[in-house]
Amino acid sequence: MLKTARETPLLETLRKYGASVGEFAGWITAMDYGNPLEEHMATRNSVTVFDVSHMGRYLIRGDNIFEFFQKLVSKDLSKFKEGRMSGPVLLLNENAYIIDDVMLYYLSDTEWLAVVNAPNIEKDRAWMLKWAKEWGYSITIEDITLSTALIAIQGPRAPEVIEKLGVKEAESLSILEFLHRPSALGEEAILVSRSGWTGEEVRSYGYEIMTTVKHGKHIFEAAVKAGAKPAGLIARDSLRLEMGYPLIGVDIGNDVNPIEARYWMALSLKKRGFLGEEALRRIYREGVSKFRVAFKLKKGVRRIPRHGNNVLIDGKVVGYVTSGAYSPVLGRSIGMGYIEATHSYIGFKVTIDIRGKTYEAKILDFPLI
Amino acid sequence: MSAEDILVKTKLGEYLVKKGLLYTESDEWIKVQDSTITLGITDYAQKKLKYVVNVELPEPGRSVNAGEPIVTLESVKSVADAYSPCSGEVLEVNEELYDTPDLINKDPYGAGWLVKIKPAEPIDESKFLSPEAYAEKIRAKEE
Repeated sequence: MLKTARETPLLETLRKYGASVGEFAGWITAMDYGNPLEEHMATRNSVTVFDVSHMGRYLIRGDNIFEFFQKLVSKDLSKFKEGRMSGPVLLLNENAYIIDDVMLYYLSDTEWLAVVNAPNIEKDRAWMLKWAKEWGYSITIEDITLSTALIAIQGPRAPEVIEKLGVKEAESLSILEFLHRPSALGEEAILVSRSGWTGEEVRSYGYEIMTTVKHGKHIFEAAVKAGAKPAGLIARDSLRLEMGYPLIGVDIGNDVNPIEARYWMALSLKKRGFLGEEALRRIYREGVSKFRVAFKLKKGVRRIPRHGNNVLIDGKVVGYVTSGAYSPVLGRSIGMGYIEATHSYIGFKVTIDIRGKTYEAKILDFPLI
Repeated sequence: MSAEDILVKTKLGEYLVKKGLLYTESDEWIKVQDSTITLGITDYAQKKLKYVVNVELPEPGRSVNAGEPIVTLESVKSVADAYSPCSGEVLEVNEELYDTPDLINKDPYGAGWLVKIKPAEPIDESKFLSPEAYAEKIRAKEE
């Protein structure tokens, strides 16, 4: 079957600001606006606006959605309530390998929103329906990905921008809380949350706005007018790498389990009775053979470690790189990857083979900044 | 941009193809002047590569073969090589690129040039693409 790339519904708006477009996970969207390093720094020091409408968005409805998701996902939802987000939560298969990491939004007792990763939009829907049927839950899934926009406003000056958008009460939100149907620019948005995937959200400097496509265009333009610098997916990638957030299909996927990935924020190891639980507990108990770690190269090394590069100790391959970037905050190349459990010398040195030349790197824990 | 230059517009972007240069299948441009060849990458190539953070250039004086990778360009997104358009000797490299590799993005046909080569024998211009043929190649690729 011929697959053509979908365009983010905001593409024309992004182009007005000089977006350099490219393809990511089957979507045509803004990769950068001329200088992704400046976009990265503006996110850390000022404020940026990202179109993240390529993320999949599903409204899930049913009388027993709480019970259904509690059985489906890795994270304990027993304290989850209206107006809160939970996530990332993992969809695991029976062997505790990762299908996707997902953000859940509790809209009401009978309606939740799931924001899923772009490469997995179809797969996640099929997965949810398969298990709902298997377990006898009656749920419906409405795909609102193409009819809505998702915009992230990130950085220390994000609260100023949100105020200029006229979103009342946004300042009182805690991290992972959202306002359902608040007014923004005098018009109703679907939701405004205190969240993001850049690292700024943990400092309470991140907001995301979900709304209709038309309203989303106005929000994006108003955010730029209010001082937010447009930023693209390349900056988003280096930002998440500094924080150690894994990217599905690149750093984590169906060949990795959450213990190897050390994806602690997506797990509740005391939780019982969910898909993959038995396998996950067995892995936890018996141990794993590799761990996800961060790498930091020396200042002055211009090469960037890339997916698939080998990690060596004394000439012996002991791991591999899954992602790399230049960190403008640290002024050096950084990476993420896996290292054999027997050789996870956190804080100590390894070498990375980048295109036939080896470079010294330090194995570190996340975050790198 | 002079009036003669070609601006190729596709659904993915706009790419400048300058007149007075020759082009390769691997998205380099060359300029032949006084039996010296200047090599660079095209606007299309720099836009696909994205923001360049690192350039590795050959040593001046090195002899090179036609089709040999002689420059490595690393962007925030990926890594690409630029190939020697002919056999010959490297005369000069653009050392400005060591400190400001993004000159390749800002001015791919000017300040972002890569290497000057003295060809071993006169260049056969028919082996290269004209600006019109190169513009057509971009259109065909993106449509």
